[in-house]
Formats: sequence, structure tokens, C-alpha cells
Amino acid sequence: MAVALPWMVNAYLVSLAATALVMAVLAMSAQLLVGLAGQPPLGQAAYLVVGAYAAATLATLTSLGPVQLLAATAAGAVAAAVTGLLAVRVRATTFLMVTFGVGELVHAAAGQWAPGGSEGTHIPPVVALPGLAPLVRPGWVYLYVLACTLIIATAVIVLTRTRFALLLRAIAAHEPRVQAAGHHTSRLLLAAYTLAGAIAGAAGALLVAVTRYVSPADAAMGISAIALAAALIGSGSMIGACAAAILLVAARDWAGGLLSGHGSTLLGLSFLALAYLPRHRLAGLLTRRDRGRT
Amino acid sequence: MGLSGLVNPYTITALDGVAYGLLLFVIAAGLTLIFGVAGVFSMAHGTLYLAGAYIAWQLADGGWVGLGLALAAAVLIGAVGGAGLAAAVRPLTDRPLDQVLATLGVAYIAADGFSTVFGAEPRSVDPPRALAGSVSLGGYQYPVYRLGFIAVAALIVVLLIWLVERSRVGAVVRAVVADPGMAAATGLRTRTTRAAVLVGGGVLAVTAGVLGAPVIGPAPGVDTTILVYSLIVCVVGGLGSIRGALLAALGVGQILTLGVALVPGAAAFVLAAAMLVALTVRHRPSLAGRPA
Repeated sequence: MAVALPWMVNAYLVSLAATALVMAVLAMSAQLLVGLAGQPPLGQAAYLVVGAYAAATLATLTSLGPVQLLAATAAGAVAAAVTGLLAVRVRATTFLMVTFGVGELVHAAAGQWAPGGSEGTHIPPVVALPGLAPLVRPGWVYLYVLACTLIIATAVIVLTRTRFALLLRAIAAHEPRVQAAGHHTSRLLLAAYTLAGAIAGAAGALLVAVTRYVSPADAAMGISAIALAAALIGSGSMIGACAAAILLVAARDWAGGLLSGHGSTLLGLSFLALAYLPRHRLAGLLTRRDRGRT
Repeated sequence: MGLSGLVNPYTITALDGVAYGLLLFVIAAGLTLIFGVAGVFSMAHGTLYLAGAYIAWQLADGGWVGLGLALAAAVLIGAVGGAGLAAAVRPLTDRPLDQVLATLGVAYIAADGFSTVFGAEPRSVDPPRALAGSVSLGGYQYPVYRLGFIAVAALIVVLLIWLVERSRVGAVVRAVVADPGMAAATGLRTRTTRAAVLVGGGVLAVTAGVLGAPVIGPAPGVDTTILVYSLIVCVVGGLGSIRGALLAALGVGQILTLGVALVPGAAAFVLAAAMLVALTVRHRPSLAGRPA
């Protein structure tokens, strides 16, 4: 059904669906940190924008989508590896605060340094494979993004089955025990942070493919907040995070459009609902750890 | 004249930096105490500043009466807002992530409300007429209001540091920051303290909004900007520490004014580096988020 979507609904909904898929990839990036390692990030949009600008810069050389995707992934990983040095020094709520600060600093720096300044920059349509026509129609863009999302999701789900993912879960459950077992937990977290940055960077390349435009506004707190909220709604599951991201984008853009542009109120209400509705998820683990230390 | 050698474009910018830094301190002091005492990272703290700035835009008419009205409204709305946030996070005690989400939700709804009521364009707020002009400082014109702002903010700083470090109320607050369990065991009412700090932080932030409106005027997005800079002040100064916040706020104020004038575009990197240094030098807190 997801594949048939372009033939079922109008162009606006198709491009909305493509945006939702980009957000789903970003939500997986957040889920890697909060769902596995128990550290909530509120700055993932920073790496999305780094990836988007990397793809946009490369677009002057090649329109080939997969090449842009790889470059954006690498750029996101490098940016996350550098800024992650800051984030992995702290845990839990302070981790959230520091990643939020870093994300906003990247947001500010993008306005200063990125090509096009705060106005942003436009990019020609991408080409999915050599020899094919550029992706102009929303339906084809959507299918390209869907294919990339499925590939990324497969890679992420494979990653969650590895020993590395088990170690991250162990850090979330009881970090001192992992340290006592001889693991360097900060290095493990930095590796996770770098991987999450890579996924967010890939989301950036997909964003550029959808909107053909990138501006520092794409690094705004709202994007990071949706990614984190989607990961929390998904309570540890990657598929859940993707579904939640799609729902939140629908709430913000589609339902918000029906309510004459009050999408952010709707988003705020969903954050409040997320906070107050009783549910079991990693926050419980986090607080249990804090209480154990008091 | 010795003074004229001292007064050059850079010292004038540095003076702006002092005003900016003191403004950030008044806001961040609330944020850092709220985090230290209640363990809440209030995402709605910038919203409170923005509320104050809009109050100033609405009520300040260029006279002292308008400013007085705006300040009275700020104290009222700050107290109500702080109490509302305290009530909102109360059921979420020991769930820090949910507290962040709840305050973030409030911030989103408020931001949408502000742009609906006050419009999406930036508003400029004029200082009271008596302070509207500028004085000559060694040949450079400097707004009187900004000097007055520095004086008032410095007064608030002194009062706040006295309140936290010398008064009985402050001793209770510091006890709850240092060890909530022990403070409760000795009979201190930690719940009341938590609510009181949220109310106090709210009053400070909204008041800062009224006083700071002619410096950083109300516009959509100002809430996030203020939240980020006061957050950086809190992280650099050490969470829960009021003197640390003062030093960090003055430093951040200089980076955002003098730093931008000297090396344009480097502010974000310098601030990130400052956070990195602060987090590295201070050894890892044994309790998440508590100062070492």
C-alpha cells in the first residue's frame, strides 16, 4: 500500500508522505540513542542539516541521489563524532540539555557559514540511478525516498540485533555494571552517537531530495523535538518510532493545515499527552537509575 | 584624559556585553536553580521571557506608570506561570524526560498563542521617555536605558546572590540542591521549596522580559534563543550554582557581543568549546545533573 500511495492520493499528500518518511529516518536516529542507550537527544536535526548541506554542496558536482546520500551520511557521522565529545560526558536530562545546546549552536552556525546564509540554498532534482531522468514528480521522489528509507531501516534493524546494541541496552539499564565488566561506556556512547548522526545525515540527503531546498531553519528545535517524541512514543522499537514520526508529521502539517495553521498547538498537545499518559518506557529505567544512586 | 583612551568601539561593545550578560544571568539564575532544586529542565523558561517582553510591548507607554504596570503584571504572570509549571510537573516527579516533554508542550502551545495574538513580526519596545536618550561616553553615544538596565540588573544580581547565599530561604534552597533526601529527613519541606523555586524563577524570567524588551525585543523564536543561551550559561556555570551562572552569563554576554564584533561567526564554536571545557574540567557529576 505504501508503494501504491502515489497513485492513490494527490500530489500534496504524496510530498507530505515523503516528508514524513524523512522524519521517520530521523526518529530512528533518535531511537538509537534513547531507545537503546537510554540517553535522550534533542539535537538530531543538527546532523540532518549537516547531511542536507553536504548533499546540497555535492549537488553542484553530481545529481546522483545515492552518492549524495552516502556523502550526507558521512558528513552527519563526522559532525556527530566531533560534537559527541561534548554529549557523552553527561547522562540523562543533562545529555538532553547539552545535545539541545549543541543542536541550537549548529542551527546558529548554519545561518552564518552555510552556503546561502539564512536564506538557504536550492538544489536541482536528484537522479535515482545513472541514466534515469531527474526526479521531478512528487510520486517518483516519494518512491525514491521510500526505497532509501527501507534500506536504512533494514540496516538499523540489523544494527539493533548486534552485540553492540546489547551493550548499549546494558548502559541504559545499569552503566556502572557495564563499566565494571571492562567496557569503556563513554566510547560506546560516542560510537552510538556517531551512528545516530550518520542516520540523521542520511535523512538530510532525503530531505534535500524531497524539498530541493535546505535552510538553517531545518535545524530548528521543533524538528529535533518531533524526532525525540516519535522515538519515545515508539518506546524502544524502531518500527514504532517510524510510525510515530509519520503520525506527528501528519498532526503538524495535515491536521494543522485543516486547523488553519495551528499545527504547533497540536504538536504541543501531543507532547503533553505523551508526558501524562501512563505508559512503560525507557524513562522509567532512567529514573530508576537516578533513584538507585540517591 | 585617561578615560578617552579606554573608550573605543570595543569597550562600548563590551558594555553591551555586560548588559546582555546580566540579562542572561537574571533568566538563567531561575533555570539553574529550578534544575538544581526540582531537577526540572524547563523548556518553557524562554517562553516566560517572551511573555514578559510582550507584556512590555503591550503596557509600556513610554512613561513610568506604564513600566510600573508592566512590572506588576510581570510579577503576577511570572508567579502564575511558575505555579502553573510547578503544578504541571508535580505529577511527573522522578520522570525527568516527561517533565521536559510537558514543559516543551506548554512552550509550543504558548508560542502558537503568542504569534496568533501578537502577530508574527518582531515588535520593538521603546524604553521609558526619561531614559530614551543617549549619553556621551568619551565621544561615543550610548543609550541611557542600557546603562539604567545594567544598574537595575546589577541590583537584582546582588539581591539574588544575597538571597541564595546569605538568607535562611537560600540556605533551604541550597540544602535541597545539595542533598534532597537529607534535606527532607531534617524536616525541610522539599515539595514547597520546589514549587517556590519554580515560582521565583518564573517571576525572574518574566521580569527580565519586561526590563530586557528594549534590548531583546519580542518576536517569534526569541523564546528558543533565550532558552538556549541561558541553558549554555547553566551548563558552563555548573547546574545549580548561582555564582557559576553569574560568571558564565557575563562570559557568554561578551562572546555574543564583543566576540561577534571581533571574530564574526565564531560565537557558536566558542560557546560549544566553553561547554566542552566546563564539562571536561568539572569531573563527572556523581548524580545526573548535579554540580560536582
